[in-house]
Amino acid sequence: MSKAVSWRVALVFGALAALPLTPWMSKYYMLLAFDALLFGAVAMSLDLLMGYTGLVSFGHAAFFGLGAYSTAVLLERGVLSLWLCLGLAVVVVGAYALTVSYFATTRRGIYFALLTLIFAEVVYTFFRYTQTFGGSDGIQGLPAPQLLPGVAIDTPVRIYYLVVAYLLLAYLACRVLVWSHFGRVLVAIRENEDRARFLGYNVQRYKMGVCLISAILTGLAGALYPGRAAYATPDLLHWSISGEFIIMVMIGGLGTLVGPIIGGAFFILLQEKVSSYVEWYSIIVGLVLVLIVLFAPRGLLSFRRAPRGRPGGEAA
Amino acid sequence: MEDGVLLEVESVSKSFGALAALARVSLTVRAGEVFSVIGPNGAGKSTLFNVVAGLYAPTAGRVVLQGEEITGLGPEVINHRGLAKTFQITNIFPGISVYDNVRVAAQSRVPLSGRLPSLWRRPDVDGPVMELLAAFGLTGRRHELAQHLSHGEQRYLEICLALATDPTLLLLDEPTAGMTPGETKGATALIRQIARSRGLTVLLIEHDMSVVMGISDRIAVLHFGEKIAEGPPEAIRSDPQVIDAYLGGAED
Ligand SMILES: Nc1ncnc2c1ncn2[C@@H]1O[C@H](COP(=O)(O)OP(=O)(O)O)[C@@H](O)[C@H]1O
Ligand SMILES: [Mg+2]
Repeated sequence: MSKAVSWRVALVFGALAALPLTPWMSKYYMLLAFDALLFGAVAMSLDLLMGYTGLVSFGHAAFFGLGAYSTAVLLERGVLSLWLCLGLAVVVVGAYALTVSYFATTRRGIYFALLTLIFAEVVYTFFRYTQTFGGSDGIQGLPAPQLLPGVAIDTPVRIYYLVVAYLLLAYLACRVLVWSHFGRVLVAIRENEDRARFLGYNVQRYKMGVCLISAILTGLAGALYPGRAAYATPDLLHWSISGEFIIMVMIGGLGTLVGPIIGGAFFILLQEKVSSYVEWYSIIVGLVLVLIVLFAPRGLLSFRRAPRGRPGGEAA
Repeated sequence: MEDGVLLEVESVSKSFGALAALARVSLTVRAGEVFSVIGPNGAGKSTLFNVVAGLYAPTAGRVVLQGEEITGLGPEVINHRGLAKTFQITNIFPGISVYDNVRVAAQSRVPLSGRLPSLWRRPDVDGPVMELLAAFGLTGRRHELAQHLSHGEQRYLEICLALATDPTLLLLDEPTAGMTPGETKGATALIRQIARSRGLTVLLIEHDMSVVMGISDRIAVLHFGEKIAEGPPEAIRSDPQVIDAYLGGAED
């Protein structure tokens, strides 16, 4: 990473860390900020697929929801260690993602979106219509997870700092990934899958690899969610959530990582603010999103600068 | 292995539904030679290349590269066995820079490729990339997006991509398609020179007869999916069957 970028990252995360110190950050705003950053992180991890590899996943809610249920199941049984919750989420989401991506990457184009959607619907149906994990009520009334034995993450400020730390680590991981050998191949696959194959790249392996990474990052975010909400419900797995993730990436700016973080945060704040004034908030939210897509087809980030060429490219 | 056989195509057939695009075609390409495949449009030349390079599995027959059978293997596997290909219709990475195009091709061959640390490391392939760009006169264009290059430059870039994977055998499907006669001459001379200096074997499809006759060590002629002749340029030029089927009427 260049020095200028490192400085910018340090500055932004410094500001995020200082946010709870400002006087107007009530409990309500702390939790709202948590949501904004958490879903920003999810959108960023989806950007690895959409912006860099050219794959549209319509099933990311399943990764998020499975992560949330992993935590919920452990907390419900009195296993309070945050690290065990995250560990379980990685295993569960990882196994599921490998299965889905194996089948989804055997086909191209719309089939990938379709298969990710179908798998996610199966997961949703299981959680919603069987009583295995509480049916439509999900798992409610969960205790707070613990960072260390006796150190519970039980205040809005603590859970906020947790998501800031997660976002920072996930962002750095994604930055390195898209810069790496692997990341360059992802962009090549997006640009011309056949060409990449004829240059010796096993395209399916790369696609499965990036699906796994994106899914685990999303699953980890999901695993943090019950720490804030004290529940996991099947709503988290619904396909409309997957659709919202896609919108967050689109309005933020494909293939930029930072754009989708902003897109995710913007989406959450907009939805929350508008819905607190009017019942028919989704019409207004929808209208704003349409305007963004019409006037900034490259996303919110494109107001700031006009990148050369397609995203994810890089000058020598 | 000056006289060694590099590629053997043994009685290969390929049908698309009822259409027999290739019918029992056999040829033998020796290491170090420039072997051209000619024939009228639709004769099956591109299909032959696509079968050899792994895009299609043949309906019947075998393909053997450097003594190992590659029939039905995928293009990414065959590329690792030492075969690289360019396409009749330009096939590059349009939305990234010229430099990034060649870099991603070159990094396919570093030991890091396909291993776990490739998730956080990036190999330095600047040397070979700059060398290739220089050889094709693209150094000054390396920061441009590939889609902004002229047609001729894009054709060169695709050859760079193929060469960056360090092949033993290079398949060029009409590399001068769409070039002016002047450009074609320059391109042909360049291909010949680079093939020589790298010790490459070249399998070439080319429609310009003067180019083919000048550059090739051996030529095979396809006609409606069948091979009707094979030999050195002089023999091909005077082969009555070839003249009848191809050179006589359909020369372009
Ligand atoms: N993917 C394909 N599907 C169906 N028919 C094809 C396909 N590729 C080539 N063909 C047909 O096979 C025949 C040979 O085509 P091709 O190999 O491209 O000829 P050439 O390169 O000699 O001009 C043509 O009739 C063409 O229409
Ligand atoms: Mg052809």
